[in-house]
Amino acid sequence: MPKRSRPTHPSRPAPPRPGDLLLHDPILRTISRAAFALVMLFALLLLWRGHNAPGGGFIAGLMTVCALILHRIANNQSALRLNPAKLVPWGLALSLTTGLVPYLLGLPFLKSDYGYVTTALTGEFEWATALFFDLGVYLVVVGAGLSLAYALIDVQPNERVEGDG
Amino acid sequence: MTLAVLLPFVMAALCAWLARPLGRRTGYLAALAFVPALLLAAPLAGSSVEPGGTALSQNTPWVPELGLNLVFRGDGFSLLFAVLIGVIGTLASLYSVAYLSPRERFGRFYPYLLLFGGSMLGLVLSDNLIALFGFWEMTSVTSFLLIGLWHTRSEARDGAVKAFLISALGGLGLLAAVALLSMAGGSTLLSELDLEAVRASPLFVPALLLTLLAAFTKSAQLPFHLWLPTAMEAPTPVSAFLHSATMVKAGVVLVAKFGLIFGSSALWAGIIVPLGLATLFWGSWRALKQTDLKALLAYSTVSQLGLLMALYGLADAEGRFAATTHLLNHAAFKAALFFVVGIIDHETGTREVSQLSGLRRKLPITFVLAGLAALSMAGLPPLGGFISKELFYEAMLHAGPAFIAVAVLGSALTLAYSARLVAIFFGSYRAPVDDGGRSLKADVHEAGPGLLLPPALLAAGALLFGVWPQSTEWLTRRVGAALDFAGYGGHLYLWHGVTPALIATLITWALGAALVWQSARVYALQLRLELPISSNGGYRALLRGLGTFASALITRTQGLALPDQLRITLAAAGLMGGYAVWRAPQVFQPFGTLPPSVLPIAVLLVAGAMGVLLSRNRLTAVILTGLTGFGSAAAFLAMRAPDLALTQLLIEAVTVILFLLVFQYLPGIRDLPRRRSRYAVDVVLAGASGVGATLLILASLRFLAPPISPYYLENAYKGGGGKNVVNVILVDFRGFDTLGEIVVVAVVALAVGSLVRLGRRGRAPTETDTDRQSPNRTIPVRPINNQPSPTDQEVRR
Repeated sequence: MPKRSRPTHPSRPAPPRPGDLLLHDPILRTISRAAFALVMLFALLLLWRGHNAPGGGFIAGLMTVCALILHRIANNQSALRLNPAKLVPWGLALSLTTGLVPYLLGLPFLKSDYGYVTTALTGEFEWATALFFDLGVYLVVVGAGLSLAYALIDVQPNERVEGDG
Repeated sequence: MTLAVLLPFVMAALCAWLARPLGRRTGYLAALAFVPALLLAAPLAGSSVEPGGTALSQNTPWVPELGLNLVFRGDGFSLLFAVLIGVIGTLASLYSVAYLSPRERFGRFYPYLLLFGGSMLGLVLSDNLIALFGFWEMTSVTSFLLIGLWHTRSEARDGAVKAFLISALGGLGLLAAVALLSMAGGSTLLSELDLEAVRASPLFVPALLLTLLAAFTKSAQLPFHLWLPTAMEAPTPVSAFLHSATMVKAGVVLVAKFGLIFGSSALWAGIIVPLGLATLFWGSWRALKQTDLKALLAYSTVSQLGLLMALYGLADAEGRFAATTHLLNHAAFKAALFFVVGIIDHETGTREVSQLSGLRRKLPITFVLAGLAALSMAGLPPLGGFISKELFYEAMLHAGPAFIAVAVLGSALTLAYSARLVAIFFGSYRAPVDDGGRSLKADVHEAGPGLLLPPALLAAGALLFGVWPQSTEWLTRRVGAALDFAGYGGHLYLWHGVTPALIATLITWALGAALVWQSARVYALQLRLELPISSNGGYRALLRGLGTFASALITRTQGLALPDQLRITLAAAGLMGGYAVWRAPQVFQPFGTLPPSVLPIAVLLVAGAMGVLLSRNRLTAVILTGLTGFGSAAAFLAMRAPDLALTQLLIEAVTVILFLLVFQYLPGIRDLPRRRSRYAVDVVLAGASGVGATLLILASLRFLAPPISPYYLENAYKGGGGKNVVNVILVDFRGFDTLGEIVVVAVVALAVGSLVRLGRRGRAPTETDTDRQSPNRTIPVRPINNQPSPTDQEVRR
């Protein structure tokens, strides 16, 4: 495609365009403070109850990603103190280990087990090894989704690929 | 046996883990991994390999439905080879402890070495053809990693890529051959193939040719030999392990094992024997020309592999007997020589023949070891090489006069280059110097016991095989039942009377002596006979051509504007879908019962889609796209699939966020030039893909098999203990799929991460530009007064 260039005006500041990140926006910040905790809690709830009600690691992971992106955009810093990409191998390892344990015990690979415990505090309570597998899925989704989003946030405007447009 | 194969893999992980604290001592740990392989010597010595005995077999079910099990079968040949791998693997691990620099990356070296050793053991022991192919490919991959270990050097990278490309080509051949064989023979187990059926099958010849392709590429036969010399870029212990004793012999193993299937065909011997002899000649001819000791050994390996190939290719008991004997001898002397060259390199700092002389004064023990091994390689008595060469001549004499002539010529050249190798120990000592004339090593002295012990053991083996031929014969006889030469009556002697083979040997010696005597003239002749074209040149031209073709293809297809790419994609998908619908006319079912609440949602979806088309602002377009997504979520909800709805909802939310994030880098929405003529094409394409998608969905409404959902509904709580069937399916019933999916997600994250980093690397660093992603990094603000790039301009109009 032929390039169409216009005379440049170096002195003129670029007007904000749709999609430019809103930095230091007080409204966004205030809302995010409340929303972040709520969304994170809900994400964890989804992860927890996934076995018996709609939810699960994947959905919970996505929701966490949403919450963290919101936090990052509003506060200009990540709520996560580590490089999200580092969560991915741990998640993979966790899921794989959950699968390997029954295999080493002579059961089919990834066979899950469950049971019931009754404690005074919680009443009857079901545990399932599937939760660990789901936790692995959760970590992978959070790690992958966040590193993708952060990568996009971090791309500098002058880092355009030559030749596009 | 299963333990012998699996332990190296486990230990590889362990070594990777412990390499940092252990440093070079990781090598001792690595050597332990080969202990079960060494213990296979017990069944080898026992009765299980006698003609009447039943071979050892261990079966671990894996995917029995596909005939894919880890079946390890220890017949004499497999066991002998496994022990060989164990011995050389142990020695290479121990040797490398003393050889490698303490700064080497042991966390890579030993795991790679062990992975390779494990795959090689799997390859020789596996009875299952599919698993055999798997191990075969794993040896290709791991040798790629090993050759490219010093990946900062471009030669190492090139060598690794070359080795991988060529052996992967053969690997594809093997995959096809294995598939054909198991189809024709009715089993995926090598030992249970119906040989009569295979021989009668029309698939016989294709399978034979494909097997040969695999064997020739792996064992560096002409014209695929070119990868082996460049593979010498690997560290020397690796060369000793991979390229003298094990990896390249994988092809020989294949020919030996499959020879029992294909040997009945004249085509088999007709291809292998001439090609093997040609490789023997060409390899030794080239070896004589080399001035680098390791390159000399590399070409020597090529030539010796040709010899082994030719012998196994004869497909008679005599040939197999001779080949197995030579296999043992070759493993002993070649690994010893590699270790010796490693010592010379380590102690003097060079491997150039012209730089080295008189080393016997400085390295007396090394001299003795090198002498023994080289004499065995040259085929001189009283060493093992002599005995197996006599057998080789014997077999070739029976094959024909042309064959024996090439064999004698090749062996004479072998004698000459062996002499060349030993010559560096004679004469007066000169300190090796570099290009500037400075001495490479201030003080050349004998190597320590860690370096000397492994070659000493092997050289002792080479000597033992010669002076006590009964030991070799006993070992060779272990293989008799497996390779079908138990009935062969030949025996091994140092002196077997004046036979035609002995006369051929005398001719060889005369020729070899002449070659040594006139070495300067021979060298001049070799330089004059240099061919203008080489297979390496052909390889490079092929690669270049492939690169040119690929980039041409990419510029034609990927360089297009996004709408054009979309047009192509849609058209292709439409053509394929249309063809499918046309070929298999579907009976369309009436719509099932849908809740009435879906109808308004459908209207919403359509409205959203139309809205995207008409919107002139990107923000509107994204919101409208979101409408279709959220609408689908609503539809799922209406059809009582809350899990799906929730997933769709969140996916949609994340998509919208990502969209917004990339907004600032996109050109204006109406910036792309639109020609009127394109509208017609677009309308047709859009209409066709819409109709096609609808047809496809309608067609899929018809059940081709009874639905499996009732099973899940019934068993979800019983088996998985969860009331949410979807989740139970995801984490239990089909947990393996989920595992695969998260691996995909992980790979995507990895790819995006590298792309972003790659894009950053090519530019001048700015203050916010660090490779590490610190969590507190500020979001880069668009520079306000900076020069806008042309794309900025374009966007803003």
